[in-house]
Amino acid sequence: MSDDVNLHPAQLGPGPVVAEEPPIYRADINLTQVNRELTAAIFRRPNAWWWGGLLVALGMLNIGVYVIWVQLHVGLGILGLERPVMWGTYITDFVFWVGIAHAGTLISAILYLFRQRWRTAINRSAEAMTIFAVICAGIFPLIHIGRTLIAYWLIPYPNSRHLWVNFRSPLIWDVFAVSTYATTSLLFWYLGMIPDLATVRDMHPGKFARKVYGAVAQRWKGTARDWHHYEAAYGLFAAICTPLVLSVHSVVSSDFAVSSMPGWHDTIFPPYFVAGAIFSGFAMVITVVTIMRKAFSLEHYITIDHMELMAKIILATSMMVSYAYLVEIFMAWYSENPFETHIYIWLRFFGPYAWAGWLTVFCNCIAPLIFWFRRARRNLVVLFIMSIIINIGMWFERYVIIISSLSQDYMPSNWRYYAPTIYDVGTFVGSLGLFFTLFLVFSRFVPVISIAEVKSVLKHQVAEAAPLEESHV
Amino acid sequence: MSDKYRPPAVLALFLDPQHLLRAIAAVREKGYRGLDAYTPYAVHGMDKALGLKMSWMPRVTKTMFFVGATLGFTFEAWTMAWAWPLNIAGKPFISVPAYMPITFESGILIAGISTFTAVFIAARLRPAPNFVPLDRELTNDHFGLYVPVRPYESGNVQAMLKELGAVEVRDLA
Repeated sequence: MSDDVNLHPAQLGPGPVVAEEPPIYRADINLTQVNRELTAAIFRRPNAWWWGGLLVALGMLNIGVYVIWVQLHVGLGILGLERPVMWGTYITDFVFWVGIAHAGTLISAILYLFRQRWRTAINRSAEAMTIFAVICAGIFPLIHIGRTLIAYWLIPYPNSRHLWVNFRSPLIWDVFAVSTYATTSLLFWYLGMIPDLATVRDMHPGKFARKVYGAVAQRWKGTARDWHHYEAAYGLFAAICTPLVLSVHSVVSSDFAVSSMPGWHDTIFPPYFVAGAIFSGFAMVITVVTIMRKAFSLEHYITIDHMELMAKIILATSMMVSYAYLVEIFMAWYSENPFETHIYIWLRFFGPYAWAGWLTVFCNCIAPLIFWFRRARRNLVVLFIMSIIINIGMWFERYVIIISSLSQDYMPSNWRYYAPTIYDVGTFVGSLGLFFTLFLVFSRFVPVISIAEVKSVLKHQVAEAAPLEESHV
Repeated sequence: MSDKYRPPAVLALFLDPQHLLRAIAAVREKGYRGLDAYTPYAVHGMDKALGLKMSWMPRVTKTMFFVGATLGFTFEAWTMAWAWPLNIAGKPFISVPAYMPITFESGILIAGISTFTAVFIAARLRPAPNFVPLDRELTNDHFGLYVPVRPYESGNVQAMLKELGAVEVRDLA
């Protein structure tokens, strides 16, 4: 085999030359052990770290609840929103959270279609992250519309004034895209959870808990016919979620790209936003998973190899994002359009928002280059710090896009420097608190790694089933 | 199969999918039909072993996607062009490109909800707080084979399954 490496492909002769894939999980893990270890967090009393985490998360959530309450009473003026910047950090937060959500679907659907079996280690928690991030994202536009009580006007329904929403507006596309995304992801997540809930039902010693898990496990028996339909449906969900996730962030980017603002009106936006979403989402997965594997001792399920693969995806998407930044700047310069060059080059890199522009470039384009080094990709401390840096960078990317274009539009007498207030920060902190609260609660009641899927890719299970399949075909 | 009445059958428990698949082939060769297997995860090759036909899930998803997309587009066109036609920036009442995102999303939404419902129908899933499985180990590390038999055959089938490597054989009457 080693000699073959130096040969030209034409000299190799027949037969594929494929390096043997390293096993996804350690070979000595057996099925009972998978059950025991992946449900340990459900049966064990939570430790001090879990309670501490919950306390911090709830504290952050409370800050959010308080500042939202103030905003509903006083009005959105306290957010520093004033002409011409009427879309402040709330839209930034919305795009940020929707972007975070996308990595979950990428892992559960796109990597499934590509038969990336290592996804089984992280897909459950990534899907949970999707649901929770969409919930967080939904909060912002609801407050931002100003009259939250009549938010239901966004939904087309027969009303006494016979008026309908304007279906040509990207903002209405957003309503449909994000709500479809939330619903479909929730169904996909729950569908994937049913066999594991049945496992917990069959393991649980408590009578009441058995009833509860029995109710949510939906009488799952695991018969061949059940699995047959279930697997088909799972694959189909993956197939419909893949174009869905691409469409959702394309629609979100259309909020900007369909307008005629310099800095927003850009055909590159949909693919560029999708790449950015995957980039920041994977960073968030690393943040969450690094803590999770430590807290629940899941080191031999979420291995350093899995972390390295995620780092590679981050590196790839970082370069796509960098490329998009370069294309934007190049096009602005090449077009010689004064409005475009003003926003893309002067305002974002030399003007009042230069600090945010350069922070974005540093966090998203320069810092991730460290992942070219294998040692960095396999170092948990580096991974964790990088995941935070990337998420700061991606938040500021959206901030720069939204704020810079709005604050200096076509009419100079209208220009104004925008700065968020403490209430903007409070609401964002609140959304982080909500996200982590939901995640911590989830990790106590549902196996954070898919038991059935891990079992199906254990090396000895696959190897044992294989020869027989051939014998009676 | 209802929870209350169980037709006579034999349940054999195996410790690995290999023995289960071998037993299925052997039992099918003897002419037994209506077999089912209980596994903790989707065992590769089980469909072929039991001779299951292709699942009808894809047809549901495909059909309902087009139904949903058609409904979505029709609704947009109806509200914007018939119910209350409103001139917005001089655009045509039926602005096909602008209606595409919601057409697509409606298709996906209806397809997703229908596929989810279809699994529930196909696998007869429903909330069951009092559900008791045939064996609690079937979601752990045991692989069960369910063979419907005539009452007088039970002994023979049990012996055969034991020979095929079952660690435990049970008469379900």
